[in-house]
Amino acid sequence: MYGWIWRHLPGNAWVRALISIVLVLAVVYVLFQYVFPWAEPLLPFNDVTVDGQ
Amino acid sequence: MRLVVRALSELCITAGALVVLFVAYLLYWTGVQADSASAAQIDTLQRAWADAPLVTAPARVPAPYVTGKGIAVMYVPRLGRDWKWPVLEGTGPDILKQGLGHYGRTAVLGGTGNFAVAGHRRTHGDPFKDFPLLRPGDAVVLTDGTTWFTYRIDRGPYRTVPSDTAVVDPVPRKSGFRGPGRYLTLTTCDPEWGSSHRLIVWAHLDATRPVTDGRPQALDS
Repeated sequence: MYGWIWRHLPGNAWVRALISIVLVLAVVYVLFQYVFPWAEPLLPFNDVTVDGQ
Repeated sequence: MRLVVRALSELCITAGALVVLFVAYLLYWTGVQADSASAAQIDTLQRAWADAPLVTAPARVPAPYVTGKGIAVMYVPRLGRDWKWPVLEGTGPDILKQGLGHYGRTAVLGGTGNFAVAGHRRTHGDPFKDFPLLRPGDAVVLTDGTTWFTYRIDRGPYRTVPSDTAVVDPVPRKSGFRGPGRYLTLTTCDPEWGSSHRLIVWAHLDATRPVTDGRPQALDS
């Protein structure tokens, strides 16, 4: 998978490395901003109230 | 064969990186966000208080609480000299990300009944991380901009199950309080990283003083 991405990036090795870093940062951003906040309530750390449920 | 092994190892590496990132998010990033969100909430409250004309406490009619908006700032000296968190109206997940949450159906601050507040034990700034250290006699100090309310803990930490809503009743069951009064209840989860139980402490209103008279002694002792 990673090899496939690397082969399909344009430019020489330096340009590819740069694009890879940008891609990684973008993935981390999406995870922190959207995916993790969504996944967090599925874990038990958020239940601090007495609610009869 | 080689292709399968490669795909599988890449999958494992990806999954491992995901888990590490998620732990970093929980342990670190939610704390960073909670610190800035709670500081902003306290800021908003203090600016609103500074703008409001100073009226002596009994004369002021308290504004009804609005869900998601700050209502007070809480100080608990036992949890740290710098321990200070905003109390917001409501106990939804989005509210508890920014500070402590006041159970909507319970009494107003300083009022007759039970002013019940929930907070995270872990993640989102760990406000109630040291909850088990609370002891009878400890002060829980709150201010709503006009009055300092000093509550004293009577009972706790008491361990119960999540469905035990009687702990936030006006006269909480098991608290030892017998008649109606001005009470305060704090709730958080137990064990530290779990949700099978809840930890509770109960307190009663010990003293009030107008903010114009300065900080209560309990904060500096």
